[in-house]
Amino acid sequence: MKKQFLTMTVNGNEIDVAVTPNTTLLEVLRDDLGFTGVKEGCSEGVCGACTVLMNGAPIRSCLTLALEAEGAFVTTIEGLAARGQLHPVQQAFIDQGAVQCGFCTPGMILSSKALLDRSPHPTDEEIKTALAGNFCRCTGYKKILDAVRSVAREGKAETG
Amino acid sequence: MRLPSFAYHAPHSLDQALKIKGELGAQAPVLAGGTDLIVNLKHQLSSPAALISLRNVKELKGIQAKPDSLIIRAATTLMEIRSNEAIQTHFPILVKAVESVGALGIQGFRGTIGGNLCSQPRCILYNQSRFWRSGKAKCHRTGGKECLALAGSESCNSICSGDTVPVLVALSAQLSIAGSGGQRTLPVADFFTSKGESPFNLAPDEIVTEIRLPIPWAPLSWSYQRISLRSAVDFPLVNAAAVAIINKEKVDSFRLVLSALGPAPVALKEAEAVVKGKKPDSAMVREAGEIALRAAEGIVVENASTSKAYRVKMAAIVAGRAVEEALGL
Repeated sequence: MKKQFLTMTVNGNEIDVAVTPNTTLLEVLRDDLGFTGVKEGCSEGVCGACTVLMNGAPIRSCLTLALEAEGAFVTTIEGLAARGQLHPVQQAFIDQGAVQCGFCTPGMILSSKALLDRSPHPTDEEIKTALAGNFCRCTGYKKILDAVRSVAREGKAETG
Repeated sequence: MRLPSFAYHAPHSLDQALKIKGELGAQAPVLAGGTDLIVNLKHQLSSPAALISLRNVKELKGIQAKPDSLIIRAATTLMEIRSNEAIQTHFPILVKAVESVGALGIQGFRGTIGGNLCSQPRCILYNQSRFWRSGKAKCHRTGGKECLALAGSESCNSICSGDTVPVLVALSAQLSIAGSGGQRTLPVADFFTSKGESPFNLAPDEIVTEIRLPIPWAPLSWSYQRISLRSAVDFPLVNAAAVAIINKEKVDSFRLVLSALGPAPVALKEAEAVVKGKKPDSAMVREAGEIALRAAEGIVVENASTSKAYRVKMAAIVAGRAVEEALGL
């Protein structure tokens, strides 16, 4: 299968990479570019572990062909911390103890960031809707919701 | 899970897309949001030679308001539909249905209305991994001559699972379809064949381009109902759309459509007759439920994650709820 060139901006850096058409965005990010914070869970769009932001919107990288990201701005969990400072949502997950095994955490944080970017002071219902497609199989969702709520309350989302 | 190999085309215009579709036909399905197609490809339910991505085809994106109708181009994302003012004003029922499609992060930003309409019907004996299917006999969809869910059935009974489908039928949407022979339109209700192995009236060289929603002559009172196991990720076990125009306490116009029972949505004409021209009455809820129950009995087979008995019972429940809400009872 012939490879095709793909140019996209990942975490602020423009990247050229050659991929076969059947490569998913998940595979190119993890296997070719080393962004292993993007997790492969169910691989069929259900669990949300592979969530990345494409042009600011949370999407399933396992269901997105890499070539569909041509020209896009992609953000993975590795791209959130800036100048050695964790993003407020990352810090809130730590402060609230919202991480157990951590496998769902990158997806949870990116879905939360996208929500807070769209709506800096979401209602509980909006938070639940935004995270409805991200599964945690360790424990419950209470601390995760607490973490997102705490960022919304403190109004720190805009700084990230 | 890895994808099988295929070529990738990303044409920059509808003409180019149609040209490729004309050459490759069924060997090259159209890729819009991919939230259904890519999963099916991972399961190797089909092995196309190529995919035709619509990402660069601007003619297929966006919503246009006309005096008598709204035109939604087929590759418009569900997110754009739910945040569009004209749709919120004229067709809040469509916003509700769009919000019910999976989760924001799955379908919201990538999934499209054309994709929801054209998503392949589902069957619990078919939508499985290749390994899982290898232990089963062949069915109508995999080159065999039987339905594994209903012995003796002459065609496939897979389930039309789009959340927007009953709503588009209830709103009398018209589809525009383009192919190498030109363009045609047809009512969305006629788009479905009732045969799961070839579910759509769509030739291999054709692409659905637009969905036209006629603006009703009076405000619609409406209801969209859906039952699923997990609302964020599961397809509907049954869904229903009811729309009514109520004038001087009487129902001038009424439609009730059920879907996710079999390969095609079902307009319950009998229920329309019960309601139309009369004053809304709570007895109509029970009657619509009974009509839905009878219709579902004849369509539903054992091919979903819950039993036929449950789905039939729930068809009556969603129909009743839809009538109740749409008629303001």
